[in-house]
This record gives sequence, C-alpha cells and structure tokens, in this order.
Amino acid sequence: MIYIGAEVIVSPLGDSAEDNWNALRENRSGIALVPSAGFNQEDIHLSKIAGLNGPLRFQQLVIKALSALKERIDASMLASDRTIVLISSTKGALDDNLHDQFSQTCAAVKQQFHLAHLPMVISNACISGVLALNMAGNMVEIGQYEHVIVIGCDAASDFVLYGFQSLFAVSDKPCAPFDAARNGITLGEGCGAALVSASKSVFNNTPLQLLAGASANDANHISGPSRTGEGLVRSVSRTMQRHGTGTDEVDFICAHGTGTVFNDEMEAIAFDRLALSDKPLNSLKGYFGHTLGAAGVIETAVCMQMMRNGMLIKSLGYRDAGTSKPLNVILENQPKELRTILKTASGFGGGNASLMIRSL
Amino acid sequence: MKVITAYCNLRANEALVNGEVIARRDAGSEDSWFKQIYRQQELAYPKFYKMDVLSQAGYLASELMKRADPGIFADYADDEIALVFANASSSAETDRRFMHSYESGGSPSPSLFVYTLPNIVLGELAILNKWYGENMFAVLPKFTPGFYLDYSRILFASGSRALLGGWLEVTANGTDVFLFLVEEKVSGTEFNDENLLHLSQAGAVAAY
Repeated sequence: MIYIGAEVIVSPLGDSAEDNWNALRENRSGIALVPSAGFNQEDIHLSKIAGLNGPLRFQQLVIKALSALKERIDASMLASDRTIVLISSTKGALDDNLHDQFSQTCAAVKQQFHLAHLPMVISNACISGVLALNMAGNMVEIGQYEHVIVIGCDAASDFVLYGFQSLFAVSDKPCAPFDAARNGITLGEGCGAALVSASKSVFNNTPLQLLAGASANDANHISGPSRTGEGLVRSVSRTMQRHGTGTDEVDFICAHGTGTVFNDEMEAIAFDRLALSDKPLNSLKGYFGHTLGAAGVIETAVCMQMMRNGMLIKSLGYRDAGTSKPLNVILENQPKELRTILKTASGFGGGNASLMIRSL
Repeated sequence: MKVITAYCNLRANEALVNGEVIARRDAGSEDSWFKQIYRQQELAYPKFYKMDVLSQAGYLASELMKRADPGIFADYADDEIALVFANASSSAETDRRFMHSYESGGSPSPSLFVYTLPNIVLGELAILNKWYGENMFAVLPKFTPGFYLDYSRILFASGSRALLGGWLEVTANGTDVFLFLVEEKVSGTEFNDENLLHLSQAGAVAAY
C-alpha cells in the first residue's frame, strides 16, 4: 500500500494544514483586492501571502513547507538515500533569476535539510502538482524510493498576472468556479507538501492511501480547453481502471475549476461523460486563487483534511449553475464520511491528470 | 527488451537523424537555424512559425525522425506513446522575450505568454500527432539518463508501450536537442544509461 500524509499548506489562510482547514471550515477566502496590481495599474483580486515580499520568495515558501512537514514525520528519513523530494512548480524563482529558475532553491533545500539527493523539479503547467504526486506514488510502488516528499509551490508574479491579463483570463471579481457568471481566474500563491511513503510508521499522524493515477493530453490546443473533455475523460478513466474503482465508490470530486468559461465547461462535459456528474464536487480556487504548479498539492492536502474531518467544503463563489452539463456543486459545508475521493487537474499544454485518495 | 529504435540530435550547426547529418547550418542565412531546417526539409506546418524555440525543436526533431521512417509511430494506439521531456533552463528564453514585451514593448504579448511553460512542446506534439498519452516535463541540472530510465519503468508498468524522450536545451548560448524513441524489441541498441548518454552526444564537437 502507498501511504500519503503529513500534509502541509502554506497560503494566505495560514501556515499549516490545520490553520487552513479552520479558514475553509468558516468559508474564508485568501482572495483580496490589491490596488494597482494590474498591468495598467488596475485593482486586481489576488490571493497573496501577507509578509511574503522581497527576494527568494519561492525558496522561502518551499523551505517553510518542508520545515513544517519535517515536524510531522520521522525526520531521520530526510537524509536517507531512499528519500527524494519532488518540487512541482511552473515559474519557480523567476523573479530572482529568469535564466535559472530552480537550481538555487534545489541546492539550498538539499543543503538545509541534509538531503541525499537533489530535489527534482516537475514543470507541467497547472497539472504539475497532481502529476508529481502520481510520480511519487509510482516511484514508491516500483521501489525506486521508499519515501517521496512532494512540494508544490508557485509565488505570484507580475509576469504571470500580466500574461493572464493579456489573455483576458483574469476575473474582475474573486473567481467563481462553475458559476453562471464566472469570467476568469484569480491568481494565487502558496505551497503545499505531503509525504508519500511505503512505510506507515514514518508518519506522526495516521496517513491515508494514495491511489496514483494517470495523465492524458487533450491533443487539442496549447492554451484552450478541449470542447469534449477528452483528455480529462481518459485520465480519470485510466486512474479508476488502474485501481478497479467503480463510479459508485467515488464520494467526492475535487475538481480543477479555474473559473474560466471554457475550462469549467470542459470539466462539466468530462464528468458527464464519466457518469460522475452527481458526485458532490467543489473547486477550491475560490479560497486560494489559482496557485498553478502548487494547486494540485494544496488541493490534495485540503482533500485529506476533508477526509480526516469528515466534511464537504462548499465551492466558494458558486451560486447558479453555469455549465451545459449539470454538476453537483457543493453549496454549503456538510458533514460526510469520505472514503474515496477523486482529485483532477487540467492545464496549458493540454495536460490532464488525476489521482484518488482513500481512507484507511 | 527495451531498445532505442530512433533518435535525432539538433546541434548548433548540424541536424542529425540516427547519427547521420541531414542538414547543415548556413552561416550566411538570415533565417534562424530552426527555420533553415524547416525550409531545407520542406516541412509544411505553418504553425511552426508561431512556436517558441522549444516547441520548434520538439517539432523538428520528431518530424525528422518520421522522415527517416514514416511508420515509426504506426504500431501504437493514440494513448500508448508517452512523452517524457526535460531540460535545464525551463522556458527561460521565451520568458525573457515575454518579459521584454511588457517592459519595453508596450504591452504583454499573449502569443508569447502561452509559450512561457516548458511543457507546451508536449502539447504541440500531442496536437500534431493526435496523441492522448502520458506527458511529463522535468527541469534537471543536466541531461541525466537515469531520469528517463527510472520514469520509463513507471510508464511501461502502467500502460504506455513506447516512450518518446527528449532533452531540449535551446538558449542564447547553444542548442542541445536530443529526441529518442524507446520500444520493446527482441534486439537493438539497448535502452540503458551508457547507450543513452552516448547517443545524446552524437554530433557534439569536443570542446577542447
């Protein structure tokens, strides 16, 4: 069995999974209006971490998350030759060194935590986090490593904000995934981390089971979602087939739900094709904004908190159905025992990835 | 066993397929080296001109491999070829151009922004070939055969039947592009550390 646990979330809502959980339980959002943040000095809604300023923001976040994770595990395994760290990110330390966005952080993390191996960077746009968790599960399953720490991290930057503005993809209000009036993303920043391991005993608290999944490309467009949801359908189908999981076993879907018109529509079509439309579903972008390469790890960590606390968290920003195929979007927090959950991600480059988590 | 059945190297001044030079750079041409290859080989995919250098590199190398053996990918279903690419500089060259567009060019360029992710080349190859398989892009300090060997074991254990690997390092300082196809065959160039490293260096001019 592949275990996953020791989840950490560093976001505007707090520095630990518990702080973040308390905010989510109260449906608080990290999104705020930032004056003059836009390219033309417009006020823009962003989910930014207060006090995260100056140089080395990416490195600070990664080190903060790994320090927190270290407190939740048998820390002696950090230096083991059988342990590797995967970092999922889109733009890394772009603001520090455009031409070398990752190596300084990797070297600093290796040195500070006395790691045996240099961390490996996975950079696949917005599916990076889910892809890295799947890679971790697979590495442990076939015995390449015994422990794999996954850290998803992206810092908000003018670079990325201006880019999404140039695509007219930034919401003029806090993003509203799957809502009829949604009109774009809200950019966020943050860091999520979790340990994937073959050993249950390295976790201070009881872990969950990772059911690693598949990725699939849409083969459709580099920056536009598929009209048919083909890649997402294939990714989820393969993930469920691999573990012999039927649709009746899925208790909850943590969707990607960016809040753009076309992404959310694509997901609704895909879940309809997968006969998963009736499953309780949310997007967590209304709480964290879109944290890009960190999103898959942060959102999986939230799923783990939902499972531990037996509660569905409402999809913040959603009010009225706004997709051509119906979805069961969660309108209010509600207690529910969650045995098996599905996490999906889709992103630029046509990528789609999915995984499942099961309670022990 | 797993064997490397085809490969392509793009160097600063030469393009090689399966170790044979098939194009040489014309130093007098005003065209970029990648455009020269595109024209010399009479390729016809106008989207090439919109692509960033990483996507152009991936497109050219995979198309040149197809030129050498048109049936190269024919044995596989549309989701059986996994794409596993890596480089050291992520999309830094395109990032620099995009940054220039809003710092000096008046406004952020959407057509550049969409290429400011290193995995976009995987999407371009998927679109061109109608491939719905696994994708992975890693940023590594240098070309590391072990990365491809390790990840291939994962992919072959979970449904992929072939692997198109790639190292795409294209910067102002140099061009180091290597694509290779790994398949299950009874004989051939075994997919191992030594062979992969050796083939990755085809056409490389010794620096001393």
